[in-house]
Amino acid sequence: MIKIIINGREVLADPKKPLIAACHENLNHVPTYCYHPGLSPVGSCRICQVEVRQGEMPPRVVVACRTPVSEGMIVETESERAHETRRECLEFLLKNHPLDCPICDKAGECDLQDFAFQEGQASARTVEARRKLEKRKSLGDVILLDEERCILCSRCVRFMEEVPKTPQLTVSGLGSRSTISTFADRPLTGNYQGNLADVCPVGALTLRKFRFRARVWNLRKTASTCAECSRGCSISVEVLRGGEVKRLRPRPNEAVNGWWMCDHGRFTFDHFNDPARNPGAFVRGHRGLQVGDAASAVAQLTDALRIKERVALVASPFLTVEEGERLEQLRAALGDKSSTITFVSPAANDLADDILHTGDPCPNRRGLEELGFRAEDAAKTAERIAGADFALVVGEKVSELIGTLEGVATPVAAIDTVVPAWKTCRLAIATLYSVEKSGTFVNVDGHRGALTPARPVPSGIRPLESLLDDLIGALDKPGVSA
Amino acid sequence: MSQPETYLLSRTTLPDSHTLAVSRNNGGYAALETVLKQPITREELIGIVKDSGLRGRGGAGFPTGLKWSFMPDPEKDPRPRYVAVNADESEPGTCKDRVLMERDPHGLLEGVLLAAYAMRCEAAYIYVRGEYRKSYDRLAAAIVEAREANLIGENILGSDFSCEIHMHKGAGAYICGEETGLMESLEGKRGHPRPKPPFPAGFGLWGSPTTVNNVETLFNVPFIVNRGAAWYKTMGSDASPGNILVGISGHVERPGVYEVPLGMPASQILENYAGGVWRGRSLKAWIPGGSSTGFLPASMIGVAMDHDSLKASGSMLGTGAMIMLDETACVVRAMEVMARFYDHESCGQCSQCREGTQWLHQIFKRIEEGQGRMEDIELLTSLASGMAPGKTICALADAAAIPTHSIVRHFQDELEAHVHAGCCPYKTSGAPAAPETVEAGT
Repeated sequence: MIKIIINGREVLADPKKPLIAACHENLNHVPTYCYHPGLSPVGSCRICQVEVRQGEMPPRVVVACRTPVSEGMIVETESERAHETRRECLEFLLKNHPLDCPICDKAGECDLQDFAFQEGQASARTVEARRKLEKRKSLGDVILLDEERCILCSRCVRFMEEVPKTPQLTVSGLGSRSTISTFADRPLTGNYQGNLADVCPVGALTLRKFRFRARVWNLRKTASTCAECSRGCSISVEVLRGGEVKRLRPRPNEAVNGWWMCDHGRFTFDHFNDPARNPGAFVRGHRGLQVGDAASAVAQLTDALRIKERVALVASPFLTVEEGERLEQLRAALGDKSSTITFVSPAANDLADDILHTGDPCPNRRGLEELGFRAEDAAKTAERIAGADFALVVGEKVSELIGTLEGVATPVAAIDTVVPAWKTCRLAIATLYSVEKSGTFVNVDGHRGALTPARPVPSGIRPLESLLDDLIGALDKPGVSA
Repeated sequence: MSQPETYLLSRTTLPDSHTLAVSRNNGGYAALETVLKQPITREELIGIVKDSGLRGRGGAGFPTGLKWSFMPDPEKDPRPRYVAVNADESEPGTCKDRVLMERDPHGLLEGVLLAAYAMRCEAAYIYVRGEYRKSYDRLAAAIVEAREANLIGENILGSDFSCEIHMHKGAGAYICGEETGLMESLEGKRGHPRPKPPFPAGFGLWGSPTTVNNVETLFNVPFIVNRGAAWYKTMGSDASPGNILVGISGHVERPGVYEVPLGMPASQILENYAGGVWRGRSLKAWIPGGSSTGFLPASMIGVAMDHDSLKASGSMLGTGAMIMLDETACVVRAMEVMARFYDHESCGQCSQCREGTQWLHQIFKRIEEGQGRMEDIELLTSLASGMAPGKTICALADAAAIPTHSIVRHFQDELEAHVHAGCCPYKTSGAPAAPETVEAGT
């Protein structure tokens, strides 16, 4: 690390990174369009100009993303000259930019809009019409391109080249006639296309799945962890007015996912918004499973755990470390009725790559195995349930992952987000989705990723920890529950 | 008046001047033989070029010997090293390198080999403008001849010096004449200039040390070796020694490529070489060194044609491509054509250049068509100041900004006349004709 002075304050800068990184790390806001910390710097948008003085040389205005830091460098990001140069550059960037912020999905989180607002450029000196180009060009199933909004920063081109290493985008045409395109207009492929909408500093690349679904300033963003594979990418869960999950986006975490996430994780969120979730508790009566009272369902479950001799405890791979610890306490309270806890481990999917996706659908495999849980596939799990007097299956998606339980007569109690269709299901108690819980996943490399509730817990559904605490408490007490 | 000494074009007028035999009979490859057989060490050769004061003829006028000395020490840097020859000659108005390549290709090859020897390069790449079919063919034939004569390839003339010379044809992009754009293009990529630093000497072709020189620059080197740095300095001006090829075009009696000593007043070149402004008309404006150097008024035709004098006049020597406009020409129309060129040729990386060149063209077009506003003149200056100098990756934005500044500085009255008239005062019913030369009734 070397010492440089930014805006009169001495700071430490990493000599391996360009000056802009030192500015940003020390909270000196310098706008950027072509620069992205996860991509190679090209210095083409020219917006990150700052004033630099080095030794006896007169101060120079340089682009911070292509300037290496050197000892004793004196940097002014807010000098009049730096501002003036950036304002000039901004005017050129805005020259052909369409005035469609009111219908642009990026509005509210657009770097161009923010900086234009900050620099107070309210009027244009152009009399010419703005460039007319394709407004909704398909780049495949994930991304739409608005060529008019594009400021040709080439972040998307570099992303495809450098991160998934599948170069598919290019700048075609020359000068003011340049546009972003794919070779021969082929659709984009791959599991990382969604990141293009994130790297785009303006509203040129938008997600088909998010387009016109919400205004970003109405979204509540919560830091959490992706549950779709054992990578456990750091994500932001974005919820519209406390209700539907509208978007999942990666959160920078250099140790785990860099700045990226895969499309599989990004777009697997519809189930969080499924109105068919279990709203509380279902208990089997003479007319099948019927809505019941949660307290009495817990009481019935306690009774069953007391009475039955051989209890199979099956966990969902989506259980957090904290939930797993409670389940292990429950197992201890059951004594020799239950020797081990298993979790359902579906077969690896074919999404594994050497970028982020591990192909392992169990987000907390490592965390659960560290607790002593054993991974078993759906068939083994069904066998284990068949060999027990009673089974308690616990956690998000657990019944879906176990499958149909065809030919298994063992009575089962499920604590799941949905009501299982099993004939042998005696009762079903609702639980939370990963976006509603707090807890921890341990990823494939041992990094711990935190889950934070992104929306209020629906009334009638209890967090699994408190439910299991009640069960443990009841089992510790002798006698029959009320 | 006695004609100044010439050397650059000395062989070009001979019959079959492009052949090896004619070249060698007239001093061709003598410098290479001297260097390899005497021998003159690489350091000595760079020293001779430095002493001669030779400055690059591609436009910027950077001292060539100094540029060569920027190549890293081969003992410490084992990467391969290259010379790239800029024969793209894309600056509007410029046609000097073409004469050399077509008529004396061996002269260029000798210069290339000397540069490769001095900088210990194992290969040289000549990037030839795609439209220059004849230049390409003549150079290709010359390379074959020279290879057969052991002047190119392994152990040249029995020495331990080996060098290959390759050719590459451009595809008609102005930006590929910019040295880093040229390197990208040579590598097979889009001709997008690279940000500097790193400079080509540290990170050039395929990431290896590379020096890019203009054709005419390298053409000077064998003469300097043969006749010495002291001889070289007897020609030209103190800070810009030697001769330069100027290509005069536009409204002159005898347009063409002429060899003149640097520092000769432009008026002398116009009168003594090009035969003066054509049809007895008077000069209105002139461009000293290719479109990027901007317009100068006729009153400045006395300026000396060398790097520093022209810089002091607010222009540049550039490529020495002089364009003369007579009194009937409309400078606004000329500027509009040039602005259209820069808009067309901007590579589009940098925001200021991509949008700015388009904007400048739109404004000049409006003014020329009579749709201009008085505030447009101020806007032109303001936009040109926002684009340059040094605000973009390469100098294309500067190349568009310099003529813009020059036209506002020297020809503001013409811009205003267009705005006031609501049309181009030099244009009548679509046919170009000057108001004062109407010869009705004769």
